[in-house]
This record gives sequence, structure tokens and C-alpha cells, in this order.
Amino acid sequence: MDVDTEPPAPRDIASRIVTPGTLITSDPAYMRGHGTFVENTAIYSSVAGAVERINKLVSVRPLKQRYGGEIGDIIVGRITEVAAKRWRVDVNSRQDGVLLLSSINLPGGIQRRKSESDELQMRSFFAEGDLVFAEVQSYFADGALSLHTRSIQYGKLRNGTLVTVFPQLVPRSRNHFHSLPCGVDVVLGVNGYIWVSKHVPASTIEENSEMIYSDKNEFISDDERETIARIANCIQLLNRLYVKITDTSIIFAYEASLGHAVKDLLTQDIATDLAHAVNSRLDQQA
Amino acid sequence: MASLVLSPAEQDFIIRGIEKGFRGDGRGNLDRREVTLRTGMISQASGSARCRIGNLGVGTDVLVGVKAEVNAWTPGEPEALGSVVCNVECSPSAAQEFEGRGAEEINVELTQLLDRVISRGSQGAGGLDLSALCIIPKQAYWVLHVDALVLDVRGSIADALVMAARAALMDTRLPRVVVETITDDSGTAQAEFDVVDDAEDLVALKGVSGLPVAVTFNQVGKRYVVDASEQEEAVTQAKLTVAVSPALEICAIQKGGIFRGFQPSLMSEILQTAQRIAKEELTRFVALYEEAAKHKEQQSDGPSTGSTFLVAF
Repeated sequence: MDVDTEPPAPRDIASRIVTPGTLITSDPAYMRGHGTFVENTAIYSSVAGAVERINKLVSVRPLKQRYGGEIGDIIVGRITEVAAKRWRVDVNSRQDGVLLLSSINLPGGIQRRKSESDELQMRSFFAEGDLVFAEVQSYFADGALSLHTRSIQYGKLRNGTLVTVFPQLVPRSRNHFHSLPCGVDVVLGVNGYIWVSKHVPASTIEENSEMIYSDKNEFISDDERETIARIANCIQLLNRLYVKITDTSIIFAYEASLGHAVKDLLTQDIATDLAHAVNSRLDQQA
Repeated sequence: MASLVLSPAEQDFIIRGIEKGFRGDGRGNLDRREVTLRTGMISQASGSARCRIGNLGVGTDVLVGVKAEVNAWTPGEPEALGSVVCNVECSPSAAQEFEGRGAEEINVELTQLLDRVISRGSQGAGGLDLSALCIIPKQAYWVLHVDALVLDVRGSIADALVMAARAALMDTRLPRVVVETITDDSGTAQAEFDVVDDAEDLVALKGVSGLPVAVTFNQVGKRYVVDASEQEEAVTQAKLTVAVSPALEICAIQKGGIFRGFQPSLMSEILQTAQRIAKEELTRFVALYEEAAKHKEQQSDGPSTGSTFLVAF
């Protein structure tokens, strides 16, 4: 489309939205970063996204990208395979992550040592299809993420439902587990998997360390079920209308949605209105 | 189609929700999702339609094209009827398990379903008028190739498939054929036909408005749901696709799911409910088709750039 004939002034380079092939700058002083390529000393964008400039480094952050995975990321994953002393976990990335048997909490106390019988009954901890709340510990040589659940709040997820969103809409923050005021717990996985569940008091979890791998849901009342569906729909509409998903934006969406029936939240008109309402409140707050 | 593996906790959550009549996205057991329909997007085809079942720009997406050909009659074929040949293919990009030969079984299942609903239906249950597709008896007839491509899967493929096929057939226009009887020197009369090569001189298919609509019922626990999402299909024990004509007659039934069967009493309840739901779906279809036709006329301005992610297709 618009091919610039003159290189833009330095302060104009950043935060432009570009498409693949757009000239960013032909000034040879700049170095190329991710999302760009060089032809005849000019830097062009190779992806569709926003231009970022740090000193002399020019890069383009794509609008849509596979979840990459950083050390320390809090994620939600689904077990795809049970292998020798490890599980393979789908983390919505280019490769499945790995959860080692030595990286999980064993029932009967955090300090319990791994025994041979644990190796033989790995499915009693996590089986195929289970959802796990974990943290990225490190990388393997091939780039696969190594996960761990060595903290009381991590582990198997139950009492709710999964919502899949674009990973770039979930910002990294200090806390990824939120107890919303409406009585629903939300786990915001940075990889785009979000778990919405009934609120379970933290004390209950600590008391029953034997039950941390249970598959049994608690009793969920009709009101709780409706609230979970409402929050799940709010997250889905925030996702489709490209609004950042944080506990704040979810709460704003929830409050704006109370005037509508749960099943209507995903219709185009109502969803667009709600997204606008959330954006206005977020702008006001900023 | 066990594509999605859910944890026991998720499955229990879904099943209990359905038992209470409150599904994961707040729908009741008989509520359906939004449908987007567009027609005439394949200019080389005689008719085409694309149907998506799902909300906010994501859903089960099926594209159907209809291509008409003239076939020479061979002995053994019906003497004065045209024919309809269906083929359904699931694109490997629709789901991971469709890669390579993974989609073979489901392609066959869906092709059989479409066949039952459209071409078998034409031979008696009030669908397409096949005799109108005959050009010259015992000589030439139109054959309609109905080709469907499943582009994305989020549950309820059968419903989207039949809706798209129905719309594509309604969108189909055949060139007009002129038939003349020529008497040669020895006195024998022979019929000859000529296909008029005028892009404006086109004829619609007869009997399309009699084509049925399909509604799929998935049994979950002791209840059943209509328009199941992918997650709900993962906990389905057995499913029944019922095709109902505008005259509210049952045209075709296909049972899917190899794990369990239906209780006969549940089946008759489902068939009754199918009539009621089909009536609503037929009304909705008329409105959707009109909107698609309007959209087709305005299409000349190029693609629309409305609310980014929610552009129709």
C-alpha cells in the first residue's frame, strides 16, 4: 500500500502498524530486530504488527503470534501423553511442554519423596486430558518448556470450564489466580488457556493435601453455574473483540453484562456494546 | 468423533449442566447458536453458499459449491430424470485429526448423510424436482455435483452442511436449454438440444424450497442437546441427525456415535422435537437467505472492513 519514499524521522518509527513488506527505514544507522528483514540496507517488516524501537534496534511485534513461553510464566496446560517419569502437556505453543514426575507435589505433604510405586501409577496423579495449572521452570535443549507445580496453588484444575483466548491478550502480571467478587475463581494462563471455576476457599485446599489429584468436582449450585457461564462468555467476548484480559477487564465486562441474559452475551451486537463499555471504563481508569 | 479429550472434571461439569438445562455458554438444551450465511461467492460454480454456525466470527464453517454438467444417458439409468451427486470433504486445516487420511471415515459419513437428505430425498420426499433436470428422455440430462468442504469444526457439522447445501442449491442457476425436434429425410424424428450461452438467461432449480433442514440431537447423560459445541460432542454418547422438510415430514434420519444406542421412547421424543425445531430453523433460514442475497448484490464494492474480527467471512 503506502510505500514511504523518505525514511521517517526517528520518533515517528515506533508504534506504526505495518504489514509485511512495508519499508520501515532506509537509514543504515538502525539495526534490524525480530520481525524484520534487510534488503539493500533498508529495513522492511516481515510480519503484520506494530513497530518498536529501542535505541538503534528496530523490531516489529506481530499482532498474532504463537505463544512462545518465558521462564516464570504461569500457564494452564492439558496433559496429552503419559511417558516414562514425565507427562507431555499441550500448552498452546509450537511444542508440547514437559512436566517431570520430580516437578510435581506428591499427595501426603510437599516434602514426601518420590517412590518407585509413584512411577508406576503416574495416571493416578495426571491422566490424559487433565488440566494442570503450572509454572514454566526452564527450557529443554529442543526448546520445549519444562513445567513444575511445586506450590500449593498449582496442580489439577476442577469445578469449572476452560476458555481459550489469544495468548497476547493475557498480560504477564504478579498474580494469575484471581478470586473475583462475584464468587468465581479465574486462572489466567499466559498461554491463552483460562480456567473459570467455582470459588473454593484456600483453606480447603491446604487441609486436603491427599485430595489434590482428585477428579471429583464439588457441588456446584445453579447460581454458581450461571456465574461461571457469564464470566466465561465475558472472557470469550473480550477475546474476540481484542481487549486485554485482566481481572479488571473481566470484572468490568461482568458488571456491564448483568443487564443481559447469559446466552445473549455472545451475539454480535451485545458483545460489541459490552466491549466498548469495557474499553471506556479502562480508558477512564488509566 | 472423539477429537477433544476432556478431563473427568470438565466432563462432569458439562454433563451436570446439561442435566439442569443450563449449558456452558448459558444456552438451554434446545437453543442454537448464531448462523452466518453467504451465497454466490464461487463465480465458476452454478451455485455456492457458505454457512457458519457459531458466535462472534468463530464456528463450524462449511462451503458448498454446485456444478451442473450435461450427461449422456446410458441404458439402465432412469429414463426421464436428472441426478444429484454429493461429495463432502473435511479440510485438513479444520482439525488436527483430519491430517493425512484421518478424515476418511467422517468424509464417508457426511457424504452419506448429504446424499440421504438431498439426492435420496429428491426421489419422492418432496425435494428437488429431478424430472425437471431431464433435458431429453433417454438422451441427455443435467447432473448436479454438490461438493462440500468443511473448513472449520466447532461442533454440529451436519447442521451446517445441510444448511449450506440447501442455500447453494437455492442459489444455483442453470443455463436455459432449447430442445428442438428435427425430422431428417427418412422421416425419423430426433430431438436435439442446445444450451443457451447467455449469462443473463438462467433458470433456477425446481423444488428447492421443498428441501429439508437437518437438526442434530446429541444425547448427554439422560438429556439431549441441539447444536452441540465441540466440548459437548466430546461427552456425547449417541447422536441423531433428523432431516425435516418444510411440510414438517421426516425425510431422513441418521444415527451417529458407535458407543451407545437410543432408547426407543427417547427416539420418538426426539423426532417430535425435531419437527418443532425444524419449523423454527426453516423460518430462520428464509431470513438468513434473504440477507445473503442482499449482501451478494452489494458485493461489488470489495470486501467490507467492518469491526475487524467480526467481518462475516
